[in-house]
Amino acid sequence: MRSHKTRLPAVFIGPGLLVLAVLALVPTVFAIAISLQDRELGQADTGWVWFSNYVQLFSDRRFLNSVRVSLVWEVLTVSATMALAVLMGTLMHRCATPRWRQVLSMLFIVPVLLPRVSAAFVWKFAFHPLFGLITWPYKAITGEPLDLFADPVLALLTVAFVDVWQWGLFFAVIVLKLLETLPPQPFEAARLDHAKTWEVYAYVALPMLKAPLISLAFVKMVESLRAFDLIYVMTRGGPGISTETLDMYAFSQGFIESGRISYASSMAVLMMVASTVAFTYIWKWTKPS
Amino acid sequence: MSAITSLSPEQKMSAIRCHHLIKRYGETQVVHAFDLDVADNEFVVFLGPSGCGKSTILRMLAGLEDISGGDLHIGGQRVNDLPPQERGIAMVFQNYALYPHMTVRDNIAFGLKRLKVPKAEIDSRIKEVSDTLGLERYLQRKPTELSGGQQQRVAIARAMIKTPKVFLFDEPLSNLDAKLRNHMRIEIAKLHQTLKTTTVYVTHDQHEAMTLADRIVLLRDGRIEQVGTPQEIFERPRSAFVAGFIGTPPMNLREMAVHGLDGGQCELRGGGGSVRVDARRFALEGRARATLGVRPAHLHLETAKSNGEGFAGEVQLIEYLGNEVLVSVGQGGEEIAVLLPSAAGPRLGEPLRLVADAQQVHLFDVATGASLLRPDAVLH
Amino acid sequence: MKKLAIGTLLARLALIAAGLSALVPVLWTFLNSFKNRVDIVSAVPKFFFTPTLDNYLYVLNREAVAAGLVNSIVVAGAAVIIGAVLGLPAAYALARYPLRWGNDIQFFVLSMRFLPPVAVAIPLMVIWLQLELYDSRIALIATYTLLTLSTVIWLAIPAFKAVPKEVEEAGRVDGYGPYAIFFRIALPIAARSLVGAIAFGFVLVWNEFLIALMLTTSEAKTLPIVASELSQLGRDVPWGILNASVILLSLPPLLMVGVLSGFLNAAFKRKREAA
Repeated sequence: MRSHKTRLPAVFIGPGLLVLAVLALVPTVFAIAISLQDRELGQADTGWVWFSNYVQLFSDRRFLNSVRVSLVWEVLTVSATMALAVLMGTLMHRCATPRWRQVLSMLFIVPVLLPRVSAAFVWKFAFHPLFGLITWPYKAITGEPLDLFADPVLALLTVAFVDVWQWGLFFAVIVLKLLETLPPQPFEAARLDHAKTWEVYAYVALPMLKAPLISLAFVKMVESLRAFDLIYVMTRGGPGISTETLDMYAFSQGFIESGRISYASSMAVLMMVASTVAFTYIWKWTKPS
Repeated sequence: MSAITSLSPEQKMSAIRCHHLIKRYGETQVVHAFDLDVADNEFVVFLGPSGCGKSTILRMLAGLEDISGGDLHIGGQRVNDLPPQERGIAMVFQNYALYPHMTVRDNIAFGLKRLKVPKAEIDSRIKEVSDTLGLERYLQRKPTELSGGQQQRVAIARAMIKTPKVFLFDEPLSNLDAKLRNHMRIEIAKLHQTLKTTTVYVTHDQHEAMTLADRIVLLRDGRIEQVGTPQEIFERPRSAFVAGFIGTPPMNLREMAVHGLDGGQCELRGGGGSVRVDARRFALEGRARATLGVRPAHLHLETAKSNGEGFAGEVQLIEYLGNEVLVSVGQGGEEIAVLLPSAAGPRLGEPLRLVADAQQVHLFDVATGASLLRPDAVLH
Repeated sequence: MKKLAIGTLLARLALIAAGLSALVPVLWTFLNSFKNRVDIVSAVPKFFFTPTLDNYLYVLNREAVAAGLVNSIVVAGAAVIIGAVLGLPAAYALARYPLRWGNDIQFFVLSMRFLPPVAVAIPLMVIWLQLELYDSRIALIATYTLLTLSTVIWLAIPAFKAVPKEVEEAGRVDGYGPYAIFFRIALPIAARSLVGAIAFGFVLVWNEFLIALMLTTSEAKTLPIVASELSQLGRDVPWGILNASVILLSLPPLLMVGVLSGFLNAAFKRKREAA
């Protein structure tokens, strides 16, 4: 395609790629190296313990709990987000005028733009047992304060709610835009065949969007692994360890509790492997060539 | 590298000389040994169906595609390894390819600015070019504010201002509606009369080709089918493909069996009809079959003089064209099309008998499609 | 012909509820940032009160907050600038020049986006400690550049692909070399989308919490960290001050709503035209 050999690709890609490679590979190599040692922060001597950290992980009750919590979190947030996104997206597409769509689109982007920390605070405040805006009706009716963060299951659901609030509404805008890119003819043909509105969406529109929707679900899956900010602010992993996800546990091991950096590193390596595998799937799926 | 590095005086006179140009994409060869000499001031049209390679060859001329093999000379100079701006060419793209973020004026002047032409001269050249193309009022607008025809004129102005040795047009009118296309076609023709710049013009529309070209290069699958003036191509198509491609409505083509008769005549029979031809006009020795080609305008209704030859059938379809009607006459699944004056007033289902003008009949080899017409055969 | 059926009415109500849910909590926080403490902790939520700027004054006067703000601006700004300067040309080259490893490079770049922050922060903590760059802006900038570079490249590649190839070819025919074509043709034409990509990178890094938490202790703390620390001031959480700091923290990203909205629209307009 190019008439002449130009060095532009090398000149343009080279520096960026170099920086990226260094910034990415050095920590990765280090993480693997550290995980094979028994370092602790603040202690000078370390030794090579090879895979004993990993072995220890699998008998660590708290680690296994964090894996369980992470899995529950993943399933919960991804499915709720996709459901909310598809529902709101189709409702907007069907029942909202173009001007309303614009207004709603801008509104729905606000939650996801907020720093996770801010979103956590905003809702922690709104859900406060004593003077939260949302809990007030319950208090007014029953006279009892509603502490959503005291019960393990409710706490998880509440934090998940905030996550879905941020991402589900944003994805709804994306679903709306996706629906708008569809050609109108299949819809018209379905209407002529006397299909009811919801059938048109369920059987015509959404199947046509299967590929991008699955991509979105994958993206959310990976994003959900980074729920740390929300959980840290809202519950700190509690009550107990009922909202302690993998990254919270890794953080507490490496940072707060004992500075057991090698142990935390082994978890980090596992997470890296998991997300790389997941990403490779996404890549292969969206680029079949 | 080719062995031909020095050109004879006659060859040096051609504005463009293509010698055995080849284009390969990896393992696939898409252009095969393309040879062509374009004379100074000539308007040459590359014509052919999609995928025939016409745009690829044009882009090789422009320097936008690498030349896989062969030599290209422009203005007597070998340009294979030269970038576009050093070849003395200017190009008009199918989608106009105007710079959307610049005004019309900047669009036109963009190429000159790079050459550090003094501002005064740029201004005067812009004025000249925009006056010729009627763009004075639009100079400060952005391309998105202009209509398709206006954008096309800006694209032409951008090419004109560089006073190139060769104009290259890549299907410039395909994106315009029919009426505008007609108008712009005439503008381009007039422009060529004024500027007389050597032009290579690519199109898939044979009407454009026939009306604009000094010579037409008809391409198929990366090979030249025929090079000639519009008249030559129309009257003496070298193959069944060319014959079927050129001319509207398209030529009737059907396979017939060859039978010898006395008096130097042959009769071709098949598909419910027969035609008598002068055997000396065609290379028919030893052939049992041949493909008959006759244009709808070269068939007429049977008169008393026709002696049993001709095609019989019933009227299957009538297409009203204004002064004429295009009638499909068929029998037993085979149809033949004929142009008749509207006044003849044929009716659906009416039985008709058609006779071909013997002088206007073409014959082609059944397997290769090559024309069997002898070079010395007279057509009128 | 639109009949106002019950279904449509319910749907519109649901949409309005969703829209409100997107806005009301933030507005409530905003409202409360102007309240005195006594008004906040009342049993019944108050909508009418005497507003005060004390919270904001307190927040802005605290050295830690000012420092956090400066750190956030410097770190996010620098990371975004480096990401743009290195990333935009790289994205252009990947979009326009078919390379043997082009696809693999893109895979590598995109996979950076999906690394869990904790996984990256843990080894980096050790590295920066050893290099004695822990708790410095440089460490954060370098770390964040990873994010901004990969995000900018990821989002800029489709933006550059959307620049019509013919316009670039016209530039070649007009005699411009590949670098000139990038700067004078591709960059201006793709500008709107590129600004969106950069804005996205900025929001990403501005909001980032975990990495900053692990890589700073006092000097280089960014605003999200400072804001979260305000919530740990003993049992008596100063909600008014907290709300004020949350609003401050959220302002820059929220200001980008317009830009990012436009970016989304442009991205999908391309898809619609391609469909």
